[in-house]
Amino acid sequence: MNSLSIYVARESGLHKLNPLTKFVLSLCILLGGLAFSNALAGYVILFAIVTPLAMFGGVTKRMYQLVFNISWPLILSVFLIQSFFWGAGTPLFEIGPVSPKLEGVLFAFKSSGRILYVMANFILFSLTTRPDTLMISLKQAGLPGGLAYIIVSTLQLIPQYAAKANIILDAQRSRGLETQGNIVTRARALLPLVLPLVISSLLEVEERAIAIEARAFNSNRVETSILEIPDSQSQKTARAGMIIITILLIAGRFLWQLSS
Amino acid sequence: MAIVELKNVTYKYPLTDTPVLKNINAQVNEGEFVAVIGPNGAGKSTLCYTVAGFVPHFFKGEITGAVEVAGSESSKSNLHEWVLNVGLAFQNPFNQISGAKYTVFEEIAFGLENIGVPREEMIQRVNDAMKLTGISELADRSPYSLSGGQQQRVALTSILVMRPKVLVLDEPTSQMDPIGTREVFGVIRALAEKGMTVILAEHKVEWIANFADRVVALHEGEIIADGKPSDVLTSDLLAEKGFGLSRYTSVARKAKAMGMWQKERLPVTLDEAVEGFTLTLPSPKGRGE
Ligand SMILES: Nc1ncnc2c1ncn2[C@@H]1O[C@H](COP(=O)(O)OP(=O)(O)OP(=O)(O)O)[C@@H](O)[C@H]1O
Ligand SMILES: [Mg+2]
Repeated sequence: MNSLSIYVARESGLHKLNPLTKFVLSLCILLGGLAFSNALAGYVILFAIVTPLAMFGGVTKRMYQLVFNISWPLILSVFLIQSFFWGAGTPLFEIGPVSPKLEGVLFAFKSSGRILYVMANFILFSLTTRPDTLMISLKQAGLPGGLAYIIVSTLQLIPQYAAKANIILDAQRSRGLETQGNIVTRARALLPLVLPLVISSLLEVEERAIAIEARAFNSNRVETSILEIPDSQSQKTARAGMIIITILLIAGRFLWQLSS
Repeated sequence: MAIVELKNVTYKYPLTDTPVLKNINAQVNEGEFVAVIGPNGAGKSTLCYTVAGFVPHFFKGEITGAVEVAGSESSKSNLHEWVLNVGLAFQNPFNQISGAKYTVFEEIAFGLENIGVPREEMIQRVNDAMKLTGISELADRSPYSLSGGQQQRVALTSILVMRPKVLVLDEPTSQMDPIGTREVFGVIRALAEKGMTVILAEHKVEWIANFADRVVALHEGEIIADGKPSDVLTSDLLAEKGFGLSRYTSVARKAKAMGMWQKERLPVTLDEAVEGFTLTLPSPKGRGE
């Protein structure tokens, strides 16, 4: 793979939305969801909002695969820790000195719902939005161009440097460097591996800077974009609407908490 | 007509005492193809950076004299405006890929986006530039999936698309295998033939001998020879100063001392060498020839 992005190309309506619209939508789902404290809230959002969106984007299967792969260790540990280390509560059963508590299990269930919808929401966004188009729209919305460049190019360069690290690893091994074995051997091997990578990338920074300056990176003219990023009045309205709804939800939540 | 003019240019990098370029006076005419040669550390890259505006705008340091391109002066301009006068490409193609783009087509458009060229015109210019360098078929590939030679041609195209008046190339094939070298030189040659003004720092003398209009020899920051490739590349002075010249020249120089090279001029390329050698076979009866 050439980029750290998990973007999957599809001809879906979700893919065709302006990246900013998806960004705002994701942010609203994330923050809006946190306004609800019901134990089922996370699951409702996952199944009633995120999943239909994923179906609309044609990436449901891929989304669930990634969500599962990333979150199962987390969810497992949440269940183990919350149920066994819950202080006072209703014991479900006893194994010697420890016993899982009902309250702990319920809390873990609620937390897991949150973990799942937050992950799914983020993954869905990444699956349907190209990082470069997102950066272009964020730039148009006011993000500094230098920052946008750093984010996108880092996403592309990390895999390149990983490949380079492997080349160095092979080269040093072929010179007889021991890289496998116990901790001490491995630690000793680290320097000859990391040093060439760090030094070469430091030297490269200057060349990279020259190369982008040679293409008028710091030009003060108004930038244009080779990629057409679709946008429409209705999407702009939708973005404003979503932001207002989210603010109302969060405000409502605060007021409700204050009054009770 | 001179398009590039260096007037008594002397330059020191920041925090250094000795100048790396000393009293450089040179002119390059419109459409001329000038090669710059010199041993390691002679100042070839620095000279390239100077014409391209990176000295002093990027590297800072102390510069005296004047660098002019098409009548305007580098020190009075900004780097981001100057790069529209002079395009620069250099050794490592990997480092010239912006990293911000997912396809070759978009990569080439990067510079045009920065200077605000309207989208329709941008597409036209990118297509034209790719045709010029023969990389149209790479348009949809990821820049990182290409070979070194292909990447370097993309880097060159990314500069050409900005339509600079002068192209400066700092050893663009030094990290390339023979196939990549041939690809890149093929493009440079085609550009020169189309009338592009090119300044090329280069070690590969046989290639220079065949295609450059002029050779400038740099030694410790000074121009010590400037003239036709066949003269400069065979001069005794350069051989004395330790320039890595063509092996055919070195062989012929030795042969001349032994009376085996009768021509006035020493060869640079294999063909010239083959043509000029008069073989004197040692013969017991001393008949010779
Ligand atoms: N950024 C810098 N700061 C200080 N000194 C520098 C810098 N870059 C180069 N130099 C010095 O300037 C001199 C000329 O370097 P330059 O890179 O121009 O030579 P070159 O002819 O391109 O050599 P090469 O054949 O190795 O590419 C060298 O002595 C070098 O050490
Ligand atoms: Mg150099």
